[in-house]
Amino acid sequence: MNDEVGGKQRRARFQALCQSLRPDLLRFAFWLSRDRALAEDVVQESMLRAWKAQDALLDENAAKPWLLTIVRREYARTFERKRLPTVDVDELVAKEEPMLAAAEEQNIGELRAALMKLPDEYREPLVLQVLMGYSTAEIARELNLSGPAVLTRLCRARRQLRAACGEDTGLDPQE
Amino acid sequence: MMDHDHYRLAVMADPHDSDDALRAHRESCAECREFTERLLRFESRLERALRVDVPQSANVLPFARRAAAAAPRRRQWMTLAASVVLALLVAGGVWLTLPQSSLAADVVAHMAGEPDAWRRTEVPVTDPALDVVLQDSKLRLKSGAGIVSYASSCDFRGHKVPHLVMQTPSGPVTVMVLVHEPVNKSMRFDEQGYHGTIVPVPGHGSIAVLMRDAESGSTDVERIAARVDDSIVWTR
Repeated sequence: MNDEVGGKQRRARFQALCQSLRPDLLRFAFWLSRDRALAEDVVQESMLRAWKAQDALLDENAAKPWLLTIVRREYARTFERKRLPTVDVDELVAKEEPMLAAAEEQNIGELRAALMKLPDEYREPLVLQVLMGYSTAEIARELNLSGPAVLTRLCRARRQLRAACGEDTGLDPQE
Repeated sequence: MMDHDHYRLAVMADPHDSDDALRAHRESCAECREFTERLLRFESRLERALRVDVPQSANVLPFARRAAAAAPRRRQWMTLAASVVLALLVAGGVWLTLPQSSLAADVVAHMAGEPDAWRRTEVPVTDPALDVVLQDSKLRLKSGAGIVSYASSCDFRGHKVPHLVMQTPSGPVTVMVLVHEPVNKSMRFDEQGYHGTIVPVPGHGSIAVLMRDAESGSTDVERIAARVDDSIVWTR
C-alpha cells in the first residue's frame, strides 16, 4: 500500500517536473528543427520516452539536461525514421512566417529570421547557451565537442547574426 | 595584459562571462566597454527572439492519455471525466497565468542584460544614489536591510522600476520592485540559469527576487523575498 502511494507521488512529481520544463523543451526542439509541428511531435515522443525511463533519473535537479538529451536524440531519430527531405532555408522561414510576424517588435522578427538561417552547428550551441543557460563545458559535453570549438562556434554565431541584422560590426575582433 | 581581440572574442562567445581578467580589461578600456554594452543590448534581443511563444495545446502531457488507456474498463469513465476536469483546470490555469509567466521571462531577460550588477562585493552604493532610485518609486529601505551593492532605475515594461542587488551570505540577489505589475499569487520561475520568485505586494504591485542558479544552491528565494518585503517602507 505504501509502495503504491509512494509510486503515485513519485509519478505525480515527475509529471509536474515535465510540465514545468515543457515550454523550454518545445522552444529548444523548435530551434533544432525550425518547424513547429515537428517540434511538438519530437517533444511529445520525448516525454513518453522519459516517462518510461523515469527510474533512470536519479536526481531531479538533473532533469532539464536529461530531458534535453532525450529531445536531441529523438530529433535525430526522426530523421533516421522518416528520412526527412532537405528543405530550403527560405522555405522554412516562409513556413514559420506567422511566428516571425507575431514578434511584438520588428527587430525581433528580423532576428528570428536570421536565427532560422544560421547553420545548425552554430545555432544549436547558441540555443543551449542563451535559452537553456548551459555553460561552455556543458555544451561541449552535450555536443561532444571541445571547449575551444564551442567558444568558436558561439562567437561565429553571434558574428553572423549581428551582421545579418545590420549591427555595427566595426569593433568586431579578428579570429 | 589581455589584448582587445582576445577580450572581444571571449565576450562574443559568452557576453555574460564574469571572469576577473575580462572585467579588469573592460574597466580599463572604453572601446571594449562600448563594444560590450552594444553586445549586451543585442544579447537581450537575442534572448527575446529565442523565447518563441509556446502553443497552449502543447501543455497537455502525453502520459495521462496512456495511463487512461491502461486503466481497468470500469474506471475509464471516471478517468475520462477527471481528465476533462483536469484539462479545463489546466487550460484555465494556463490562461490565468500566461501574463505572469511572461512577466517572469521579461524579468529574467532584463537581468541577463546587466551582468556587472551580479558582482560579489561588500561595497554598498552611496546613500544619495540609493535614495534617488528608491524615491522615484516612493519607497525606502529600513536600516539594517543589508548591503545594496547596485541600484538603478530601469526601464521595464514602460515604467521606471528600482533594480537593486543585495548581498546575502548565499551571494548576490537581485530585486526588482514592480509597482505596476500586480500578481494574484506567488510565482516561482526557473529560466535561463536564473531562479526566483515574484510575490504579490497588496496595493503596491509585486516584487521579483532572483538569483543565478550557480549561486543559489539551496537558498530559499521565497524567504529572501519575504525579508525584502519586510524591509520596504512605502512612502505613499
